[in-house]
Amino acid sequence: MTRYVMIADLNRCVGCQTCTAACRHTNATPPGVQWRKVLDVEWGEFPDVQRLFMPVGCQHCADPPCMHVCPSTATAQREDGIVTIDYDLCIGCSYCTVACPYQARYKVDKPEFAYGDLPTENEAKRFDERTLGVAQKCTFCSDRVDAGVAQGLTPGIDPEATPGCVNACIADALSFGDIEDEHSNVSELLAENTWFQMHAELGTEPGFYYLWEADDKRQGTSRVNMDVQDTQG
Amino acid sequence: MQNTFGNTQQTQWDWRAAGNFMFGGSGGALVLMAAIASWPGVPNLVVGLVALGFVGLGLFLVWLEIGRPWRFLHVFFHPQTSWMTREASVSVLLFAATLSGVLLQTPALLAAAGLLGFLFLYCQGRILRASKGIPAWREPAVTPLIMSTGLAEGAGLLSILLIFSGAGEMWLLYLLMGLLAWRLASWSYYKQRLAANNAPAAALQALDSVNRPHVILGNALPLLLLLTVAVMPDLLQPLALLACILATLSGWLLKFTIITRAAKVQGYALGKLQQGRPTIKPPVRREKDRFVFDRD
Amino acid sequence: MHAKVQPEVKRVSTYCYQCVNGPDLLTVETVDGVATRIEPNFDLKGEHPADGKVCVKPFGLVQKLYNPHRIKRPMKRTNPKKGRHEDPGWVEISWDEALDIVAQKLNATRAKGVMDENGNPRLAFTTGGAATPFKYMGSFPALLFAWGPFDQSLGAGGTVKCYHTEHMFGELWHRAFTILPDTPRCEYVISFGMNIDASGGVTGVRRHADARKRGMKRIQFEPHLSVTGANATEWIPIKTKTDNAVLFAMLHVLLHETPIDKLDVPFLKQRTASPYLVGPNGFYLRDPATKKPLLWDNNANAPVPYDRADTDPALLGLFRVSDAIEIGADEETWHYESVEVATGLEQTRQLLADKTPEWAAQISEVPAATIRRITAEYLAHAHIGATEIVDGRELPLRPVATVLGKSVNNGWGAYECVWAHTMMQVLVGALEVPGGMLGSTTHVAGDTDWERALTVAAGEDGFMTHTFTPTDKEGWDANPFTRHAHNTLTPMGGDKMGAQLFGSTTLAWLRLQGRAAESWPKPNPPDVWFLYKCNPVISHSETEKMGEVMAEFPFVAAFAYTLDESNHFADVIMPEATDLESDQLHRIGGGHYFENHWESEGWALRQAVVAPLHEAKDFSWIANELARRTGLLEAYNGAINAGVCGIPLQTDAYDFSLALDQEHSQDEIWNAVSKAASHDLSGGKEVLDLDWFRENGFKTRPYSRLNWYLYHQLEDLGLRFELPYQERYYRMGKQLANRLHETGVHWWDKQLEEYEPLPGFKDLNKLWDEIIERNHDVKAADYPFWLLTGRSMQYAWGGNVGIQLMKEVADNVYGHDGIVMNAGKARAMGIEDGDLIEVTSPVNSTRGYARLRQGVRPDVVVMIAQFGQWKMPFAKDLNRPGLNALVPMNVDSLDGGGSSIDGTKVYVTRIGAGL
Repeated sequence: MTRYVMIADLNRCVGCQTCTAACRHTNATPPGVQWRKVLDVEWGEFPDVQRLFMPVGCQHCADPPCMHVCPSTATAQREDGIVTIDYDLCIGCSYCTVACPYQARYKVDKPEFAYGDLPTENEAKRFDERTLGVAQKCTFCSDRVDAGVAQGLTPGIDPEATPGCVNACIADALSFGDIEDEHSNVSELLAENTWFQMHAELGTEPGFYYLWEADDKRQGTSRVNMDVQDTQG
Repeated sequence: MQNTFGNTQQTQWDWRAAGNFMFGGSGGALVLMAAIASWPGVPNLVVGLVALGFVGLGLFLVWLEIGRPWRFLHVFFHPQTSWMTREASVSVLLFAATLSGVLLQTPALLAAAGLLGFLFLYCQGRILRASKGIPAWREPAVTPLIMSTGLAEGAGLLSILLIFSGAGEMWLLYLLMGLLAWRLASWSYYKQRLAANNAPAAALQALDSVNRPHVILGNALPLLLLLTVAVMPDLLQPLALLACILATLSGWLLKFTIITRAAKVQGYALGKLQQGRPTIKPPVRREKDRFVFDRD
Repeated sequence: MHAKVQPEVKRVSTYCYQCVNGPDLLTVETVDGVATRIEPNFDLKGEHPADGKVCVKPFGLVQKLYNPHRIKRPMKRTNPKKGRHEDPGWVEISWDEALDIVAQKLNATRAKGVMDENGNPRLAFTTGGAATPFKYMGSFPALLFAWGPFDQSLGAGGTVKCYHTEHMFGELWHRAFTILPDTPRCEYVISFGMNIDASGGVTGVRRHADARKRGMKRIQFEPHLSVTGANATEWIPIKTKTDNAVLFAMLHVLLHETPIDKLDVPFLKQRTASPYLVGPNGFYLRDPATKKPLLWDNNANAPVPYDRADTDPALLGLFRVSDAIEIGADEETWHYESVEVATGLEQTRQLLADKTPEWAAQISEVPAATIRRITAEYLAHAHIGATEIVDGRELPLRPVATVLGKSVNNGWGAYECVWAHTMMQVLVGALEVPGGMLGSTTHVAGDTDWERALTVAAGEDGFMTHTFTPTDKEGWDANPFTRHAHNTLTPMGGDKMGAQLFGSTTLAWLRLQGRAAESWPKPNPPDVWFLYKCNPVISHSETEKMGEVMAEFPFVAAFAYTLDESNHFADVIMPEATDLESDQLHRIGGGHYFENHWESEGWALRQAVVAPLHEAKDFSWIANELARRTGLLEAYNGAINAGVCGIPLQTDAYDFSLALDQEHSQDEIWNAVSKAASHDLSGGKEVLDLDWFRENGFKTRPYSRLNWYLYHQLEDLGLRFELPYQERYYRMGKQLANRLHETGVHWWDKQLEEYEPLPGFKDLNKLWDEIIERNHDVKAADYPFWLLTGRSMQYAWGGNVGIQLMKEVADNVYGHDGIVMNAGKARAMGIEDGDLIEVTSPVNSTRGYARLRQGVRPDVVVMIAQFGQWKMPFAKDLNRPGLNALVPMNVDSLDGGGSSIDGTKVYVTRIGAGL
């Protein structure tokens, strides 16, 4: 079996938004629709302040609330764990949007372009009417994954089979691969690093992991108080 | 410790969606109340139409909100898990049962309609509860709150109709008093659970901002008025009418607030640090739920 | 069913050079001839330090290409009155007419003589982006060379917005136009505001991310918590403009609180001028016979010339020397029978005697214990004595670096900071060795910015050669050649091709405004001013005044892709083919700019991904046309043959030269360059033409990591790094003072004071208060905040503020949409997040929305990137505050090298609630 997951190494990410821009290019989303984006987070109080960059987007949960609530079955889940939206089924009720604890979903009701009401040539070329009025979100670039796998390539290793954001990441902070393969790139990263999942307590079992170091590896400043829990123990 | 951030207001469900919970909920409960009130007989056509009017108005407002309104039939595709599908399905049966019930004057159909009205209300409570992205909705205590207020509104609306037709029922007012008490308790419990579960502060603030009008004008005052009516039945017409209007409006205010103003999103957070290769839980993979139709 | 027509999808290799960290190779996907998508160039995986990735900026190029606001065909001005509020009355004209207008102006100018009556070039040319526009200008530079002298002093922000002091001293000391840690090996980096994760390009970000993962520690001293500070091990919110105090205190800890044998003694003795003895007048004590500097040999217990073999030079202490001379400015010589002198390092130690951490703590608000702890960690991580074998050569391994950010690098105080951070390297032997601090690129020491190793040669007194603009009586030029008088006032800039870029651009504008150099005539505006890929009206300082000057320029020809605030003052606008529409072959790899160190080198083609849109023309085509119309064709072809397009077309090894008397198409030009480049790269084994590069994108060969370092070259030549003592600089300053005073120039006296052999500490906050009060009728105390700027990776260099995608993604990074203030301070002033506030400097004020943040000092406000556009489409509607409009320009704020900072003191007032 295969389950694709993504990893964001928060010790690497510099918040440059190259992934955000690459996602906009890869998926031809309209202005403001960022299936992948990086949050710029600050906490603490001067002078004891932390700032960190956190890539977010659809977490491709193993148990996705969006899928359960979807009344049209437009949102579904593939065998490999990728959560999909069928634009032809979706009625645009946005129930999935409020069900998603990761604010991953967008809906655009009318055509929107970078410069006013008319599309630029590239926008016109890639405009897809099917995306209007329906829910949309990160697909883990499933079209790229599928095309790559069909050619015998390995998602997460071969660029042609890898999501656009991961390909573009200049800090090597984003990784993609099959977590059910214990020798895969993502399995090894998780085995070697401390990590967390966002909102794991909601039982969504996200397919998106964040690598993050515990306090004692970072001197001088106090990190968020987080206990490390050994999953093996 | 959780550090959540970015608890912004959801913007996908606005006053139109709120309208469904406000009017649809009242309408569903009104059918139930009318069925109870008229048992073993059948309510008149006007009450039935008014009830369906409320439900219809709610559904119409939702229809206005959805991105692909002409695909509305797709809403029925996912009864396995979607409370929205279930709500929509119940609403169809509700319409059929209520209409045929009042038109054909068949008590059995009306009884079924009452049950469906109750189910419709329950679906609404579960729709919110399944919205995991909104802490103020996913709180399980939201369901009894939605139910209690819906029923109170239904009882209130029916009383208003009956009072206008000069046939106010004391037992209905007693029932309303009980429902108001339940609503107050649900409201208090709901807010308490939200606070205990670290709901976004802004959500709690939004709820608190309607707390006093809701508790005092929407529940305490109607209760007081209804108590007065119980002691002095002569005053039923003006006092009970006022009480029912207040109780109903307050329910609508409550739901409008929950759907729009208190609907802060979950936000983002760092999670609990883990070490070692994660235990992998297989995807739920509900692909088989997918509605398949010929697209050529 | 009907068969769907499959779209024709192509991938074209090209590169992005929108910032100095370029070129970054990328591929562009086209669908049916429409560019749709940018991707990294995956073919470079394993070869490029960031595996062929590109940063966020090139993703804006597709929108740039199809931007509806583009200038579609040449335009001429019909309203002769110029001014911000004057409508230029643009009318579209043919290329023929536009080129004729420009050529006629050029021909008429040439007829008058290329120099005006003041001796300044009548032709001026301005670009921005630290010369990166040259990477887009095709063969146009050859036209400029064919023309003869042209003035580049009307800068767009250079010397205010650059690492100016590092450029000049870095090149003198270790061929470091820019500096970098040897990040792949470095263990400990102390950064004073260097925002490398925003400014270091793709390779910088990647190398630092890898290093952090490896365990490298980065200590970030900065008044606000920048992108780089976010990922630092430790952020220390140092008080603005007190970096010099902390650096001096760190040196104090190393020289006064650390036993000398814990420092890199062999390095100090053999590879630096530490042991050189300094005479009573501040110049090296020299051997009377050979005139060589003396050092004290512990073996002989006597002074010996610095290059005597088998000596044990004394590093510290006072020594009595008999029979020695000292040579000062203008050959003034003193002879000593007997004199007590100290070594250069001893003088340095004495300079720092009272610069204790406690002293620095008072000034910088950095606790003394923190300064001591960091210095100790730095020393421990230097691993003095460790070595590494690189390509068969054993080199010291010193994995520590101290680096400086931009606003620490220019203006008053920069000299002591640049000197002190380089001394931090010197004391532990971590200069130009694996793991330590390295230089990259040469513009002062060499004409090629590509291979700095070639500039290392034995010069006087045991140091590398270095060229300064002459300051001696015979050599000094009393007549400013350029409008900023680089040849007359700023000798550190040298005399190479890039020398003009080191003159004070602020001074040029001030002179044109009649606000500086009162003993000199006010310069004439250039008869013809070419403006390309820059926007000085936004990017320089005190920007309101910039436009007023430009309005007086008689003829301005702008190459432009949209209207902007500077070409608003132009007479002719010509739309050049943009990044994805034009061709240019360029070098890649090697060791170039900041963190761009590769283990391969070669050439890559920037090529037209789509045919130029509208009537945009490739720059080489424009150059050809102008060369013909101005009768400069032969000289123009000659310049191309000589190597202006990146490599000579004719050497002893090959000849791909162009016939001088014929016009050559842009394809012919780049075909010849392709062949020469590939011939050179392969040692004659392979000649690849333009079509090959169009198909394959790039060609590389291995590049030894040994080339990243200079240590072994100096060792081989028996040379020393010219530190700590600055005798040459000191002499140059004395001579310059003599020359200026002889010609009645006294308005540069403050700047001349900076020519100290060892930089004395300056209280910069006090100095700034004085400058403000002297130049403006205000009380400094009324301006309690420092207004600083912060680097935006999304916007920097690219001139892309009119690109929607850049705005969209930049908005995800805090502060782009307003003015960053400390939350606690703001609330104490009644300011909430999102409130409209006004920031006022002594020269101007601007408004924006307050963005409250904890990660900024309470006495600092920050405006990220460069905004304030009022003309550029899209950008003008952003309504974002720009710092530059608030930064005063005056001679007082210029340091000895002519640079100044892009910050100012301000006050803040709340205007009202936000949106």
